[in-house]
Amino acid sequence: MSDSTEHLVKSFDNELKRLRDMLTEMGGIVESQVASAAEAIMNRDSNAATRAVEEDPKVDALEREVEQFVIRMLALRQPMAGDLRRIVAALKITGDLERIGDYAANVAKRSIVLAQFNLPYSLAGLAHMAHLVQEQLKLIIDALGSNDTAKAIEVWRSDRVVDDIYNALFRELITYMMEDPRNITPCTHLLFIAKNLERIGDHATNIAETVYYAVEGEVIPDVRPKGDTSAYAVVRPKD
Amino acid sequence: MSMTSESTQSQNASFGGVQARAHAAMNAARISIRNLDFFYGDHRALKGIALDLPDRQVTGMIGPSGCGKSTLLRVLNRMYDLYPGQHATGEVMMDGDNIIDPKMDLNALRARIGMVFQKPTPFPMTIAENIAFGVKLHERLSKSAMEERIEWSLTRAALWGEVKDRLQTSAMGLSGGQQQRLCIARTIAVRPEVILLDEPTSALDPISTLKIEELIDELKHDFTIAIVTHNMQQAARCADQVAFFYLGEMVECAPAAQIFTSPKQKRTQEYVTGRFG
Repeated sequence: MSDSTEHLVKSFDNELKRLRDMLTEMGGIVESQVASAAEAIMNRDSNAATRAVEEDPKVDALEREVEQFVIRMLALRQPMAGDLRRIVAALKITGDLERIGDYAANVAKRSIVLAQFNLPYSLAGLAHMAHLVQEQLKLIIDALGSNDTAKAIEVWRSDRVVDDIYNALFRELITYMMEDPRNITPCTHLLFIAKNLERIGDHATNIAETVYYAVEGEVIPDVRPKGDTSAYAVVRPKD
Repeated sequence: MSMTSESTQSQNASFGGVQARAHAAMNAARISIRNLDFFYGDHRALKGIALDLPDRQVTGMIGPSGCGKSTLLRVLNRMYDLYPGQHATGEVMMDGDNIIDPKMDLNALRARIGMVFQKPTPFPMTIAENIAFGVKLHERLSKSAMEERIEWSLTRAALWGEVKDRLQTSAMGLSGGQQQRLCIARTIAVRPEVILLDEPTSALDPISTLKIEELIDELKHDFTIAIVTHNMQQAARCADQVAFFYLGEMVECAPAAQIFTSPKQKRTQEYVTGRFG
């Protein structure tokens, strides 16, 4: 339902706009964190890794700012209907964005350890995954800024692909570890990196659900795609 | 539009799920309004209203001034009969009787459907006489039975503890909030089935307001309640279902949680979020 008309109280509109601007700013920083983290792994770029880690306190500070602003708005404006949904959505989304920032920082830290190893195998799968997750994140931050539910649904559906790649990577990395125990340290880091990227995709999906609810007042009318099956995976060496 | 909540109860995800749990299904209708039109002379103030008041639940009526919500309350106990040139057409059914049928016995009707107004309206009599006055119109009670009735209704109106030692003093000496609870006690003393509240707390301070709201919560176990209010938070707190009126039409009626979290109609959305009104 569109909220094109303005409130009788103009300052309420200004506060809603400020809330959206804060989320967009936070989304922008988180997006660049994920990009830097991906660059750090692929190009063994420790400067990029440092950038991703250094952005994290900014994201945390913004999260606290959004939280305080939301509590203030709830108390002073007592919002209803679409306004209420959007303000509560901001509170949820700021939490998702903060988690995404944490995962990106963690990926960046691991990339520094990883750079000390000579990897005898290609990181193409991981690169592809990182690329997809960045696309998802960009799309959902766009959707957030423009209340675009079509984009939100697109992100929500595409999470399945990220999960599939993660499952494939999981198996691939375990075989490397079985081939040569010297691979265990770098491959464990790679596993965590893949898992972190997969979690970033999950949080993007959460944001998609929240944006859809905030705009439409209904949950996405479908069952959520759930694709990470690595929790059930067993890989045994051949006898 | 009869109130069915199937469409909203299918929601069960983490975010939307709160509203699915927040309201139970509506009870069967105590009063059923269909095709109701109301006229002040030539002016059509209510247009084709269809609404159910579910039994022993609270129906909140909201909308900007002049939208017809108070008019609807006045129709429900035939208050408009006091004024020439006002008439209603359509059906307002309670127990198989059409309330707006000219042959309806108005004294009996008003004993079954009580009303409380915006400003407290105690009679200039003692507290006890205020309660007894209406009862005597409909019932012949012994002195002790009347005393019991007075205690019962004052207790139900959460006023007994404050006035039990001064029942023979003037009701005009009570505070505004106490006077309003006295009016509610007076209304329930005749043991009605339905209670109509027309902005019952708009003249009260916040604490008295909360006491009345707590009272509404209590009373709905025994009575069907309709409340007109300009205070949206009050409708959200008190009502099981909320009907939004605009320009004499009922735009939307749904469980309170739905009206205030995701109304279906654009007009409702704009009104409850403060975009017009």
